[in-house]
Amino acid sequence: MHVYEVFVKKDGRDEFRHVGALEAATDELALVLAREGYVRRAEGDRLWVVRRDHVVAAEDDFVTPNTDKPHRHHDGAAVADRRKAARQSQQ
Amino acid sequence: MPRCWTDMDAFEAFIDGGGLVEADDGMPDAYRRAVFAFIEMHANSELMGALTERDWIPKTPGLRHKMAVLAKTQDEIGHGHLLYMIAADLGVKTRTQMLEDLFAGRSRFHNVFHYRAVTWGDQVAIAFLVDAAALISQQAVFKNCSYGPYRRILRRIITEEGFHMRLGEDRMMRIAEGTARQRSMFQESLDRWFWPALQLFGPDSVPDDELLRWRIKSERNEVLRDRWVQRFVPMLQSYGFTVPAPDLRWDTEAERWDVGPIDWGPLERTLAHGGPDSARRIADAADNWSRTAWARAALSNGSSGA
Repeated sequence: MHVYEVFVKKDGRDEFRHVGALEAATDELALVLAREGYVRRAEGDRLWVVRRDHVVAAEDDFVTPNTDKPHRHHDGAAVADRRKAARQSQQ
Repeated sequence: MPRCWTDMDAFEAFIDGGGLVEADDGMPDAYRRAVFAFIEMHANSELMGALTERDWIPKTPGLRHKMAVLAKTQDEIGHGHLLYMIAADLGVKTRTQMLEDLFAGRSRFHNVFHYRAVTWGDQVAIAFLVDAAALISQQAVFKNCSYGPYRRILRRIITEEGFHMRLGEDRMMRIAEGTARQRSMFQESLDRWFWPALQLFGPDSVPDDELLRWRIKSERNEVLRDRWVQRFVPMLQSYGFTVPAPDLRWDTEAERWDVGPIDWGPLERTLAHGGPDSARRIADAADNWSRTAWARAALSNGSSGA
């Protein structure tokens, strides 16, 4: 038996969403169990199951908030006054 | 990224700050055991409830209701699966150990499943009063539960429990508008099930309840119980039924229903598996488990490739 993670996607713009997990012997049975347990009343129209031991997960500390990289952000403060002035002069 | 806390104070500060604990976090052992026990009892109750529901499929009157009971049984078995999965992920017991403990009478399930449903009226009373009680307590957990996987699974469970409760109310409405015999059958069922349903919430929460402190639950038992009383006493009366509480009174000052003193003896007996139907229920569940071994064997081999 393997543990599978279950993902469901609603039609339209939403991304696939992790909804839970289950135990199954084969991929095919995992899909059947996922449908019967997680998609019983039009919760979505697309279904993925992924074996938990096939998920590639990052090690601790691999993903960090990158608070030391302010150059990746810009809060707009430096140009705010210039924009405001430009808007006012156009009025 | 999995988190770890240096001590209980740091963990409780995280919880107090509205943090959500995830399955791979290094949570304190006491929290892990408490959240596990809570989910295990919920999972066991879904399974025990589903087995009763199953018994009523052939006896349910009318095809439409029969199909609805079938779907409800499937929902509850499904809830059991979802809950046993997240419970197993806590690493305290495997799913097989949880089931073995249940069938050996070593673990708990809700008090209401220690009583026997003898008439269709009982089944309707359960579907309405008990499902409503379960829904009220699950909604309160869902609102603010600190354990992420449980909270997310509850969203799905609550949606389906809502269908069950409305089905129960629909059936109660039909019985209430039915013949004198139907009405007296349902009154007898109410007499049997009102108090067990009320006791599902448990006695008043203790002051330092760790389930509350760690936000596994977010409302006190007596608050939830009172919510149920205020909602269902007037509803049962509006259908012309008698609430089987001799000391029931309307508190004009507080503008609330007061059901009077509660005898907790029956609840204590069910928690010790000494309820009126405990032994038969557990034996029946164990028997069902052994008779369905062939199906599990077939599923665990897989029929096509892999």
